[in-house]
Amino acid sequence: MRNKNRGKDFCMFALPGMFCFFAVVMIPFIYGVYLTLTDWNGVAKVKNFIGFKNFAGVLRDGQFWTSLGLTFKYVILVVLLVNVIAFLLAYLLTRGMKGQNFFRAGFFTPNLIGGIVLGYIWQFVFSRVFVNVGEATGWNLFGVSWLSDPTKAFLALVMVSVWQLSGYMILIYVAGFMGLSEDVMEAASIDGASGWRKMRSIVMPLMMSSVTICLFLTLSRAFMVYDVNLSLTAGAPYGTTEMAAMHVYEKAFTSRQFGLGQAEALILFLIVACISGIQVYLTKKKEVEA
Amino acid sequence: MKKKVRAKGIAGLLAAVLAVTTLTGCRFGFASDPDDPNEEVKEVPIDTSADTFTYDASLEGTEITLLNSKAEIQAPLEKVSAAFEEKSGVHVEVMPVTDGDSPYTKVVSMYNSGTPPTMAILDTTDVIALAEEKAADLTGEAWTAQAGEYLTEVNGKVYSFPLCIEGRGLIYSKAVIEEALGEEFDPKSIATLDNFTELLEKLKAAGIEKPVSLAKEDWSLGAHHLQYIYETYDGTSEGAQEMIQQIKDGECDLDTYDRLEEFLDMFDVLKKYNVAKGDPLGADYDEMAIDLADGKTAFWFNGNWAWPNLTEAGAGEEDEYGFLPYFLNSDAGDFANQKIQASPSKQVMLDGQMASEKEQAAAREFLNWIVFSEIGQQMLVKTCNVIPPFINNPYEPADPLSADIYEKVQAGETFNASAIVPNDHWAVLGAAMQKYLAGRSDREELTESIAEYWKEQE
Amino acid sequence: MKQTAIGGNKRKAANILATAGLIIIFLAYMFPFLMVVINSLKQKRDIIKSPFSWLYTIKGLSFDNFVKAFTQMDFMNAFKNSLIVTVSATLLVTLFAAMLAYYIVRHNNRISKITFALMVASMIIPFQAIMIPLVSIYGGTLNMLNHRITLIFMHTGFSMAMSVFMFHGFIKGSVPIALEEAAYIDGCTRGQTFFKIVFPLLKPIISTMVILNALAFWNDFLLPSLVLTDKKLLTLPLSTYSFYGTYSADYGTIMAGLLLCVIPILILYIILQKQIISGVVAGAVK
Repeated sequence: MRNKNRGKDFCMFALPGMFCFFAVVMIPFIYGVYLTLTDWNGVAKVKNFIGFKNFAGVLRDGQFWTSLGLTFKYVILVVLLVNVIAFLLAYLLTRGMKGQNFFRAGFFTPNLIGGIVLGYIWQFVFSRVFVNVGEATGWNLFGVSWLSDPTKAFLALVMVSVWQLSGYMILIYVAGFMGLSEDVMEAASIDGASGWRKMRSIVMPLMMSSVTICLFLTLSRAFMVYDVNLSLTAGAPYGTTEMAAMHVYEKAFTSRQFGLGQAEALILFLIVACISGIQVYLTKKKEVEA
Repeated sequence: MKKKVRAKGIAGLLAAVLAVTTLTGCRFGFASDPDDPNEEVKEVPIDTSADTFTYDASLEGTEITLLNSKAEIQAPLEKVSAAFEEKSGVHVEVMPVTDGDSPYTKVVSMYNSGTPPTMAILDTTDVIALAEEKAADLTGEAWTAQAGEYLTEVNGKVYSFPLCIEGRGLIYSKAVIEEALGEEFDPKSIATLDNFTELLEKLKAAGIEKPVSLAKEDWSLGAHHLQYIYETYDGTSEGAQEMIQQIKDGECDLDTYDRLEEFLDMFDVLKKYNVAKGDPLGADYDEMAIDLADGKTAFWFNGNWAWPNLTEAGAGEEDEYGFLPYFLNSDAGDFANQKIQASPSKQVMLDGQMASEKEQAAAREFLNWIVFSEIGQQMLVKTCNVIPPFINNPYEPADPLSADIYEKVQAGETFNASAIVPNDHWAVLGAAMQKYLAGRSDREELTESIAEYWKEQE
Repeated sequence: MKQTAIGGNKRKAANILATAGLIIIFLAYMFPFLMVVINSLKQKRDIIKSPFSWLYTIKGLSFDNFVKAFTQMDFMNAFKNSLIVTVSATLLVTLFAAMLAYYIVRHNNRISKITFALMVASMIIPFQAIMIPLVSIYGGTLNMLNHRITLIFMHTGFSMAMSVFMFHGFIKGSVPIALEEAAYIDGCTRGQTFFKIVFPLLKPIISTMVILNALAFWNDFLLPSLVLTDKKLLTLPLSTYSFYGTYSADYGTIMAGLLLCVIPILILYIILQKQIISGVVAGAVK
């Protein structure tokens, strides 16, 4: 009786979702892993099995490791900024202030636009609007396009990502804050020195599940940044802002080393998996303690 | 309370700003400007009265696809396809390659998905990469006899149809130069790098401080500039191939290769007089067209495909624009200082793998129609505004840039050399060139990057 | 007494400061959109030479760009396609993900654990890594491309992991098992319990996920561009392709087209925005 029920349950509740997921994500992924062991160039009819040669190629591809290093720098900045900003804004926006719905909607708007288009808008803002402002005002900050200087182009990339991702995270943090009970919020809303302490000792632990989710999402998204990277800087100036995901794409399609690109994608995946695994483990532990 | 009022005020303000945006938009909206540069270019009439082309009636109703990677002729190609359908009954669906992915990526994913386009307009390198694996053999086609030196062969066979000739060099604006110098300008009088530098100095003295526009895009720097070092080896595609082989084999030492040295001499001159010298990597492509049309600059390194941008910027077909060669040295007898590089850069490949016999036949008919029918010939030149590589095509392109290349082709003042380089050449070495353009690397480092790049190729 | 007064003042000051800060940040957030709105009404030349100025344009402001974008995009048709794909995929993924997450939370067996772990891990697979295998399986082997249903199915599959992850967290935290047990005692079947008792409780997270998923589907470019090549099937983002040229972009039309794409989703967001809040509040009160 019980067993029968269990089987029925599984078919009814789990199967449709699992089928979609496995068919669209897992099977192509496994096939993709198999392709890393071949010398396929994306076109040819024949795929020769070449073992781990592609992975040896990854070790030799210095540019990949450079881009990975840059990605780490980018991820650290983006994750920190996004979460701090989103957390604070969400906090401000759940205190019953007039017009908070309007603000919430406003902060979310960057997410209404797809990544590629978004990058184009910002590219336009950085290379035309800001430069124009610079010409008109003589401000050195905007004298030359940010996108033509390696450091500033990198900062521009960070800024745009923070701008986009924080809106998304505000939504989750807002939901988290709204899930807290009235008296917790009341306690947290008392300002001054004790307010901060209460924030840390009362609110933070209760918000840990939101923090876990947001950290995980920002981490994985930042690691895999591609479309904004492509449309905002496209690696310019001279390849200094090429992040790992973009490098992988370039390897596979521009350099036509499909197996190598696929192998690099796999390595990127493993790195992100390890790091976010550790992060979820650590923050989950805090949740339990609370 | 105060807080509430304030928030409300801000919200109101924003709403007001938006409302004003819309309102002012409305008020200005109906004032149509007669000189609007964005206005659609007037339709060039196509004479369809004569048509001696014989259509194969059995192909009627066939549907084929054409993947177009030359975005600026997307709309014209759709017109060509409509005209062809009207005459032959074959429907050619013109599919664009979107900006997000490269033509090659698109074709590869389409092959993987089992729905490749019947025909694809691709760069020569892409055609060579795909030819033997995917393309149909076009060696025996009638049009090959009309294409002359513009056929591309892979192991003795023709796999692609040269769609157009594209030439590149230094675009000059005759009016700007003459106005600044107050004298007649004869492009023939500039025969060497020294002459060119003198001219730039004269323009500078006449008030045009920095007369050159130099694009920062990696495809411009990595492909259009840098590839001169291979293409000017002897001015032929074979020569360029030989040169590349020598670099690969280590037979040619780039440090002492004079074409590289000369190329950088010229590039340095362009760099010195670059209008965007203060921020060379911030240069904007669209602004360059505007600057040239406005007379802020006198030169723009580009190709005849830049015409739509110039028109948009306000240039008209009656204006005099033309090309100067990419001067390499002070030897007036050097062909590189006399001739413009012009070659068939876009090629049509016919799928030989998935397309049915009938579809292939329809595609072959379409290609022949472009070359041999009166309508196809006209449309290639007048509607698509490209330079036809086929000697039997009597029509001449109308815009000054294409017309100049066309004249130079007729007069033998062009050289047809296209270097076949790996697909990432423009991206990798374009980055190295950007660094050099920005003044963040020197010749030595650039040379090293080039040598390094070729060493990595198998 | 005195202390509270000081505290009150401080609090007031802090409030004003916070509000002011909020407004400044808000304006910075909106700046690019303002640029889009302004420039969508201008001609290319003015956009390039003076992107910031508004009234001092040579060619004046007009709705030409919108008209051009509207016709070139074949807006109504693309809108219909986007709507069909977005609505169907959103409904499917919401339903399937909620059910799967519910199953995983309530059945702590091996299948649940493995599936959940795989899903979480899959959220960090770069799309580029499955792109080509995906098209070669669905196109080359199964020949299923160029159908809306394929795109809907793929959207559902790709957003499954993230959705299950979110539902999982919510069900675990906010759906008390006692309610379900009561329902069984009353004779409800599994299915009835889920749809009558559990599903309504999920309202807050459902509105959030509907917005996030619908947005992603509406805006996605890469996946539709791989699946759909037939002109009649193009979605809104795909239909703006022709504004981006090989060498330069038609800025005015791009921005107008962008606004045309965004407006529908903006309306959906404004409608659902209220629902999220009431949903979350209702959940919090209980």
